[in-house]
Amino acid sequence: MEETVGPSEMIIHLGPQHPMLPGPFRLNAKLRGETIVDSEVEMGYIHKGIEKILENKTYLQGITIVDRICYLEALTNEEAYVGCVEKLAGIEVPERAQYIRVIMEELSRIQSHILGMGEYAGFVGFVSMFMYTIRDREDLMSVMDSVTGARITHSFLRFGGVKDDLPDGFKDDVKYVFGNLKKAIDQYEELFSTDSIYKARTVGVGTLTADVAKDLGVSGPPLRATGVAFDIRRDEPYLVYKDLDFKVCVQKAGDVYARIQVRLDEMRESMYIVEQCLDQIPSGPLFPEGTAYGKRSPVMRIPAGEVFHRVEAPRGEMGFYMVSDGSDKPYRVKIRGPVYPTLQTLPPLLKGVTVADIVTIAGSMDTCTSEVDR
Amino acid sequence: MDANSIIASLTGKFPEDIYDANVESDIRVIAKVKPQNVVDVCRYLKEDLSFGHLCCEFGADYPDRNEIEVIYIIGSYDHPVILTMKALLPRENPVIESVVPVYWNANWYERETYELFGVKYLNHPDLKPLVLPIEMLGEWPLRKDYEGFPNKTAKNLV
Repeated sequence: MEETVGPSEMIIHLGPQHPMLPGPFRLNAKLRGETIVDSEVEMGYIHKGIEKILENKTYLQGITIVDRICYLEALTNEEAYVGCVEKLAGIEVPERAQYIRVIMEELSRIQSHILGMGEYAGFVGFVSMFMYTIRDREDLMSVMDSVTGARITHSFLRFGGVKDDLPDGFKDDVKYVFGNLKKAIDQYEELFSTDSIYKARTVGVGTLTADVAKDLGVSGPPLRATGVAFDIRRDEPYLVYKDLDFKVCVQKAGDVYARIQVRLDEMRESMYIVEQCLDQIPSGPLFPEGTAYGKRSPVMRIPAGEVFHRVEAPRGEMGFYMVSDGSDKPYRVKIRGPVYPTLQTLPPLLKGVTVADIVTIAGSMDTCTSEVDR
Repeated sequence: MDANSIIASLTGKFPEDIYDANVESDIRVIAKVKPQNVVDVCRYLKEDLSFGHLCCEFGADYPDRNEIEVIYIIGSYDHPVILTMKALLPRENPVIESVVPVYWNANWYERETYELFGVKYLNHPDLKPLVLPIEMLGEWPLRKDYEGFPNKTAKNLV
């Protein structure tokens, strides 16, 4: 970013701590009057070095580390990591374990979207709605807690299966929570579509077109809000997604309003997926039979090879590239997070908008700095 | 478009630059590329084979082969095939052309590979550290011979 020219321009720094994005992150914006001429993103306040840490841990220990890349996406991060190791080692996951994984990951998607949406509502001034979404999310967390034993960092997946089976009465619990949640989502949608202040701040703001979004490498809800039906669950199915009926939620406009609407629709779609899974789930083992997986064996050697595996995380495409040299630790792990390209789009997207819209646009991306800054 | 036709098209167009091309499965292709022509190959991939989505770009260090690999994972919004493309660089002086003119989002990936592996990108618009403080430049922390704790901690840098 160039220096300012004359007294009509100034540079303001948003962050490193700012409610617009959770986590330390700084946006330097050059303003002329109230309009942003240029902006620059500064990262690196919480670099955790997770890729380097993973090189020094055994494969099983790595599961607890990838949880902490972004704790709202813990289960999908695990799915990407565990799926990568399973591809390298050629492990087949039994069907019941696959269904349990899908159920848990879709519940995790709902809680991530509902928090992202509630935080966003807080940014545009609906602070009480944030409280309501937290309340609704809490019920979901309790349901997930009853399966995994943890609320946020689950460490639930294992190579070849899952840690535990679903508890008794799980289906009824989920039905009860979903009944409340469906009513709540309808209310949120009604509020969003009727409130004139909300619409004035979101409709037509921060518009991405489909071509630009593809060029910038965006994935997940911000991409689907521009009309591109790109969903890894459907385009490159993993687990049992190919047997399930769901549609890819798409909006046309590509603005802030469309991004929030995509999340609302995806929550409904995720609930539909979970309901199908609960009806269809077969009985059977949780780990492949006749193998050592699932036994207490922390040291496990993986055949040499290289694999890229990606899944659809709540925020978009989450991928792991893993190089194994045949030992019990990965030789190199690269994490491809969904927010990384999404956050890169801020400087071009913010060009020409006013200061008040920075929070609206950056917040609607549902970013997680901790994941970018891993 | 499937994996075999992509490999055939790519090796047909760049017989000199693409080597060791393999089909791993229906949706995974792997190939190596000569570093000096990586931009031309990327442009062809994007414009003619609809590989419009750069998933990521990163490095991997191999001290026993004395090489640093720069790996591009390139996918598409139109077909499910993913290409893993590797450029092999010498470890003492890793220099490669930047692909930012083709794939806009390579910008941060290249900055990250620069600060963590020391790969220099020619014609990159703004090559400077992204996630590390500027004092760490030249340490190349993701290389395998990086000493790490306790020799290279923040305390010892002061």
